[in-house]
Amino acid sequence: MLRKEINDVLTRTGPGTPMGEMFRQYWIPACLAEELPEDGAPPVRLKLLGERLVAFRDSYGRYGLIDEFCAHRGASLWFGRNEEGGIRCPYHGWKYDTTGQCVEVPSEADNSSFAENVKLTAYPLVKIGDVLWTYMGDPEKQPPLPEWEFALVPPEQTYTSKRWQQCNWLQAFEGGIDSSHVTFLHSGGLKSDPLFKGAKGNQYNLNDTKPFFEVADSEGGLFVGARRNAEEGQYYWRITPWVMPNFTMVPPRGDHPIHGHFWVPIDDENCWAYSFDYHPVRALTEAERQAMIDGHGVHSKNIPGTYRPVANMDNDYLMNREKQRTGEWYSGTEGIAIQDSSLQESMGPIVDRTKERLVPADSGIIKARQKLYRAATALRDKGVTPPGVNPEHHHVRSAAVVLPQKEAFLDAASEDVKVRPGMPVSSV
Amino acid sequence: MTVALDTSLPSSCARAASAQESRYRIDRPIAPSRAGRIVALDDGAAEVVARTARLEWANARFYVCASADGDDLVLRGIDGGPATLADELASASVVVMVATSDSGAGCAYALGKACWERGIQTAGLVLGNGTHSGTAAAAAVAALRPHARVLLPDADELDVIDILTALRV
Repeated sequence: MLRKEINDVLTRTGPGTPMGEMFRQYWIPACLAEELPEDGAPPVRLKLLGERLVAFRDSYGRYGLIDEFCAHRGASLWFGRNEEGGIRCPYHGWKYDTTGQCVEVPSEADNSSFAENVKLTAYPLVKIGDVLWTYMGDPEKQPPLPEWEFALVPPEQTYTSKRWQQCNWLQAFEGGIDSSHVTFLHSGGLKSDPLFKGAKGNQYNLNDTKPFFEVADSEGGLFVGARRNAEEGQYYWRITPWVMPNFTMVPPRGDHPIHGHFWVPIDDENCWAYSFDYHPVRALTEAERQAMIDGHGVHSKNIPGTYRPVANMDNDYLMNREKQRTGEWYSGTEGIAIQDSSLQESMGPIVDRTKERLVPADSGIIKARQKLYRAATALRDKGVTPPGVNPEHHHVRSAAVVLPQKEAFLDAASEDVKVRPGMPVSSV
Repeated sequence: MTVALDTSLPSSCARAASAQESRYRIDRPIAPSRAGRIVALDDGAAEVVARTARLEWANARFYVCASADGDDLVLRGIDGGPATLADELASASVVVMVATSDSGAGCAYALGKACWERGIQTAGLVLGNGTHSGTAAAAAVAALRPHARVLLPDADELDVIDILTALRV
């Protein structure tokens, strides 16, 4: 269980809230680069951390992320005309550049300086990999750009998708560090999903449904190690890194691409699940990339032209009781992503954690909540920069390794959980 | 078989997850779900467990491991009173072991074995954070690893409190 006042702190991310201010210390995904595919592309409406914004790529290729609403009468700039280095409100023609600066007010005299005094709130928007990243905090404290490996490898080695999840970010994120659900909820996928199946490690997973856990601090967050019996005298370890506040990676399987997530608050009752797959040393095969586009692995099959999954709350996630009965889809819903989202959304928009009955196996979640709360209150009360802001903290990988039973997992696998450019992931 | 959506009955489909529908969730007090036994495995841990025991708990009892010889373990209550392992585990549903060094390795073995035989869940916290040497903490982790279903190697005193709170002991 979690006390209500702590749950409130962790789940509220609007401006001025402790967790909202903490999220505003980081570069976070704002949207996919594919949403603004060319110079002068149509603008994109998006809401982040409870703020309504519009993203655009002007005719010169500059990215902007500005207040959605025109300073004049409050019309949405999503209707704006993206023309000649700025976005123009079609209502009365006010025009803004990518910094939010108003550059033209047609009703004013040609030599008027009125526009100079009009500026919308704007945040930086930077393309790294397949993602456009923003920083929504104090410009004076803007940290260095993020250095996540999935975003830095060559384009042919990486793929990122996103989906709308209709619940608070925290309950979605908590699924990312909850190793014990995989053996049940995703058991069908271990056998059949093209991006999971065939790894030797899957058999360890399926043979041992009661893993032991170790939860170890890292500079940026945590490493959660789940250990299962392997061959005589050895353990199979699946190591999940969490970098604060919202980055998780899934331990790899065989030579499949390695994957992970960012959980980004839209508002307090919705979030974006960004899901990535990459391979550090080779291009994704055509079959792998197609499987990701088709919604396999950690990705979802979305309604064309949107980032809403085809299987969603409004159609009971296309529940299939027959496949649930046979175990092909353990919960009766198809695919890793929807298996997670359906159950996490079923908890309600913001789950009431005062009602939980946690077990020791939930210690990773307990510890993560504690670290988030400590960091948010340390920032609020003492101005302490939270873990995960420093790009050095981004240089992590998940790992799946077989170790002698007497070895401490983070001692034996200390290099396996670091980014080693040009080196493959440690995987079984 | 695919279930068709009946929009006239929001409570009968996944839309029941809305904030509005959440009002209808059964709201009754939750009884403590775990009878917790918290055991300090060494003297350093005993100080922390003693302080933790002074807080308000619903269904937790606190002990210090006095000695261990193979499967035989002698416990005493945190207040110094005698305690019998078999009696204390009879009604326990989770045992949380707290250590600062490997001096309690024998206790961890005996306690872990007794819990395993009785199907009692175990957790272990190794207190580090500069209060004890890294070597001692590492040795404690190694000693606890085989016997704790969940292990927190870099824990501090607040972790002990937070884990017990989350478990509702």
